[in-house]
Amino acid sequence: MIPAPVREPAWQVSRSAIGLWVVQGLISSIVWAAAVGIGMLVVPVEVGGPVPVLREAAPVVVAVYAVVVTGVRPFIRHRVHRWEITADAVHALTGWLNRTWTLVPVSRIQTVDVTRGAMQQMFGLASVAVLTASSQGTVLIPHLEADVAQRVADDLAHRAEAVRDEAT
Amino acid sequence: VTWASPPEAWQAAPAGRRTSPRVVAVHTVTFRQARQFVPVLIPIAAATGFRGGTPMIVIAVVAITLLSLAAAALSWSRFSYLDGPTSVVVTRGLLARSVRTVPNDRVRGVEVEAPALHRLFGLVRVRIDAAAGSVTGDGEELVIDGVTRAEGNRLRTSVLAPGSSAPAAGVTAPDEEEIARFDNRWLLYAPVVGSYLALPLAAVGALLRLAEELPRRFRPQLDEPDLSDAQLLVFTLAAALLLLVVGSVVGAALVNWRFRLVRRGGALVAARGLVTRRHTELEIDRIRGGTLSEGLGMRLVGAARTTALVTGLGEAARRGQLLPLGPRLQAEALLHRLVDDPGPLLPHPTAALRRRIGRAVAAGLLVTALGVVATAALGWWWVLALGAVLTALGVPLGLGRYAALGHRAGPRSFTVRSGWLVREQAVLQRRAVVGWQVRQTFFQRRAGVATVVACVGAGAGGYAAVDMAADDIAAFTVAASGPWARAFHRP
Repeated sequence: MIPAPVREPAWQVSRSAIGLWVVQGLISSIVWAAAVGIGMLVVPVEVGGPVPVLREAAPVVVAVYAVVVTGVRPFIRHRVHRWEITADAVHALTGWLNRTWTLVPVSRIQTVDVTRGAMQQMFGLASVAVLTASSQGTVLIPHLEADVAQRVADDLAHRAEAVRDEAT
Repeated sequence: VTWASPPEAWQAAPAGRRTSPRVVAVHTVTFRQARQFVPVLIPIAAATGFRGGTPMIVIAVVAITLLSLAAAALSWSRFSYLDGPTSVVVTRGLLARSVRTVPNDRVRGVEVEAPALHRLFGLVRVRIDAAAGSVTGDGEELVIDGVTRAEGNRLRTSVLAPGSSAPAAGVTAPDEEEIARFDNRWLLYAPVVGSYLALPLAAVGALLRLAEELPRRFRPQLDEPDLSDAQLLVFTLAAALLLLVVGSVVGAALVNWRFRLVRRGGALVAARGLVTRRHTELEIDRIRGGTLSEGLGMRLVGAARTTALVTGLGEAARRGQLLPLGPRLQAEALLHRLVDDPGPLLPHPTAALRRRIGRAVAAGLLVTALGVVATAALGWWWVLALGAVLTALGVPLGLGRYAALGHRAGPRSFTVRSGWLVREQAVLQRRAVVGWQVRQTFFQRRAGVATVVACVGAGAGGYAAVDMAADDIAAFTVAASGPWARAFHRP
């Protein structure tokens, strides 16, 4: 196990997020399978060139993709995704193969957004986005329980108001 | 409920100031307002057939000029502005009136520019840059076109001076100090700077497009050139090269003529330009650091460019320029006046070098592999040769990219550098950091490195130290920002 470059935040995201990610993976697998199916119906074998090889390979690739995005990725993501609010900063870790840590001090927070997508609502989840003056300095904490997300956002907005130094 | 006095906005607005009537002449000549009628006029001209020769053309030109005059006069009469103690108000609009109010504390910069025609009439154009919301990054702009030079300068100081309405000119001259001045010999650097080389190319392109539009009988009759003549070919190439070099120098001279950077009170004022003269004012309080950028060609001759990173400045790449082109030492000295020198750069680990070279030769290796297949199957040996050449070229490219990498945290500032085609070093104040982002790809994790981005509310929004040793990151972030970054420290 290779140690992380910086400390990992303490708290995991909601377990319901796994369900959401599985459903999302399922949907994208179905879309890809449909695309490949239509392709196999429309393009006849007689075209030649790489077509016969592609006809063999495409279903295998889609099958592997489906297994990864429904059976592997959601669980790795749930293990990787973490967040924490320390005394003076917001810290989040996202990703699965490639990972991104973001750290923003409470004093530099400009706005805090809570978003609930249609699918998130079915799983009772919400995401918190913490925005700063920098376009790259946005902390996104995905898939918290909706009431937790709202409490976190209220708390952060309140504290940012109290300790804000110059807005940039 | 009764108000002792109605809210400020409801009170009868005091009469606004007008722009100079001379601007009507400028706009008439440039068809500024009349331009929007062109899409309507063309189909009319086409429908009526536009016959009648020279008299008809004269009549049309006179009519269009009169129309332009009327439009310019009308829009002048409907335009007024007022710089109050707390905000700037601009009222405009031919039919629908629009009133825009920008509070003074939202004004991020004022630019006074004098295009050639404006200078002929002694006028300037004032652009007031207001940050609407820094989340989206795009500011809003108020343009007050056609005031006298004195009024433009008064407006600039009045809008930017914190909490004071226009100080009487000449009573207390604010302390002024020249920081940098453009040396005309530096124009000779222009042929190695990509953006100035593009200027003559753009001019030739525009000329060719114009030639296409000309009626056939006005076009010169040219014989097809004889391309087999080697002498002619060499001559043409040499002439084109000369044109490119001269064009880039002329272009750089037009933009940077008599460039001067002065500190006036709490602001830096940069003035430059031959035909269009621009004065850009930057508040020193909003400066968070600066960048030193050197293109590939600029590094060969030791030239560099310095740009200030100012919070909430629109069009920052152009407006923030403090030294558009100059010797590297000069550019560096200027940058260190802006922000403390954090010290010499620390190199990145060997893993970073391996990764840079690996990435640079990857494309070459792919072509080589394809070349092996192509040689075996089709006898296309040249694909193999191309792959070998690309792979060999990748090595110096990787070395160059690695040499650009570096970072350093000093007592009050820090710096990061990267890039090969354009090598950019950002030096930032500690307070500039509004957040940190650490990115690690699957391969970076195996190599024990990661990319650290300092998120900043100015310039590009983030400046990256690519492939830093993973173990150094926590200490670097704390040293470069503040104790809040201790959340990155592993227990």
